[in-house]
Amino acid sequence: MNKPSRLRIVCINVVTWTIVLLVSFPLIWMLLTAVKPQSELFRIPPTFLPQRITFEHYARLLSDTPFLTYFGNSIVLATATTILVIAVGTLGAYSLVRFRYRGREQLATLVLFTYLLPSVVLIIPLYLLMVKLGIANTLFSLVLAYTTFSLPYALWLLRSFMAEIPEDLESAALVDGASRLGAFWDVIVPQALPGIISTALFTFILAWNEYLYALVLVNSDSSRPLTTGVMNMLITSFNIEWSLLMAASVMMSIPLIVIFAFLQSYLTSGFGVGGVKG
Amino acid sequence: MTGISIFAGPGRTLDGRYAILGLILIAPAITIFMAVIVYPLVSAIYLSLFSIYTPTLQGRFVGLGNYAVILTSPRFWNALYNTLIWTVGTLTLQVLIGVGMALLLNQTILFRSLARSLVLFPYFISTVVAVLVWQWVFNDLYGVLNHTMLRLGIIDRPVDWLGQMPNAMLSIVFVGAWKYFPFVVIAVLARLQTIPEALYEAATIDGAGPVSRFFDITLPQLRDVLAVVILLRTIWDFKEFDLIYLLTGGGPLNATQTLPLLVYQEAFGLNQMGMAATFAVAMMLAMLVFISIYLAHRAREVAAS
Repeated sequence: MNKPSRLRIVCINVVTWTIVLLVSFPLIWMLLTAVKPQSELFRIPPTFLPQRITFEHYARLLSDTPFLTYFGNSIVLATATTILVIAVGTLGAYSLVRFRYRGREQLATLVLFTYLLPSVVLIIPLYLLMVKLGIANTLFSLVLAYTTFSLPYALWLLRSFMAEIPEDLESAALVDGASRLGAFWDVIVPQALPGIISTALFTFILAWNEYLYALVLVNSDSSRPLTTGVMNMLITSFNIEWSLLMAASVMMSIPLIVIFAFLQSYLTSGFGVGGVKG
Repeated sequence: MTGISIFAGPGRTLDGRYAILGLILIAPAITIFMAVIVYPLVSAIYLSLFSIYTPTLQGRFVGLGNYAVILTSPRFWNALYNTLIWTVGTLTLQVLIGVGMALLLNQTILFRSLARSLVLFPYFISTVVAVLVWQWVFNDLYGVLNHTMLRLGIIDRPVDWLGQMPNAMLSIVFVGAWKYFPFVVIAVLARLQTIPEALYEAATIDGAGPVSRFFDITLPQLRDVLAVVILLRTIWDFKEFDLIYLLTGGGPLNATQTLPLLVYQEAFGLNQMGMAATFAVAMMLAMLVFISIYLAHRAREVAAS
């Protein structure tokens, strides 16, 4: 390797990592703030690394605030939404990919259209509907509301994944005497499993992060999810405790960190199929 | 290839039976669609013809009256203007930073997969987390941004980043770019990896420098993916609610109030549901332009493949 190209590689590395660290700085700052004692936050000039590491904010978060209730609500909410959407979406996507009936193409376009629809258009009628049905202020109403964006998304993603499975595999099973649903269960589901996992992860993250529906449809602490719950902690506090809020932010990001650490390849494959091409 | 005949259907009855099975499989999805998307959508259009007071839900039919109000409503035009500024501003930054970052991450760098994960992270975290972190960074008294800029001598007194104009608009545009540029990175990076190396080698032999290689080879190859990315991001930025609502709440004095925030304020702040539905429908009509372009683009792509 000659000299200029080595210099080039060093330059590119330095530039790239500088930008990467700048991009991740707010998140690094969040982690650092969460373990600093409250008094250290108001130091001028501010300390970068904490002089004393404390986990008191995490402890207070769990014992003195409704954070755990919110966390539990979010787990239930995101899991229920994911299960519902994956069950309905897998069957629906299979139908859209492998069966021929009138209106199939229009249906596929409608799915894509609804995927791009703004939530604020649906939210007023949905609010009225939930009030009329008497289910406003429940997690169930949020699960229903979350299907408005996650079901079109999941259908679209799963449809793209399933379209890539060769039809020959399924035909072979049918020739061997399997029923259509038997072939679905034995051939399509295993083949589409990486796609199903990827879709499930995206759905979970979408539901976990959702804010607007939760803001409008739920206003009691017992069924508030994390997003509106943590914002509520900010709004209702007399003096804003930033380290507490940063600790809450870190805790709130734990599922994402777990997904990132172990399942990242599923996220990027979901992107390739559904996000851009689809 | 005899297996194909099973799908085409050797006889009408089998094909018909499969069609019914197909409909049964999609039925749950269609039911949910009807209940939570189609019904509310139609209902929103219907509501937009009424004047409704939210707490009592008492309505009065006003026909197209609400739409006539829009034409002369300064709040609507202000929100539309803000939406356009926000969308164009944040989208431009997202694309520029996204393409630049993708080009860098496509090079041989140390710990590339770690760098990639770190770059993607803002896209996946909750907007609530992003906003809390940025509000702390932007904090006027103890925020790290003001401190750093004071220290570097760029500013000589702390700046109010979210409470005055044009700072508030610049701040949301910037945070929006930070949160959503990874989408561009992922899409562009995936495409970059499929550009044949031979194209670059041939260009280098012909004496092309890095700049002309970028404009003559990379950019034309990225054209299609960038078109889709820009369309999708335009649609998503246009309807963004969380980030702006949580960072500035539309303030100061409605200077960052975009259309989704206007709808929310009208419905749940001013308690005028009918008018809010009208704003929402008008916003959807504006978005239909981009959505139709995207759907047409897809239809062309499907036809081509």
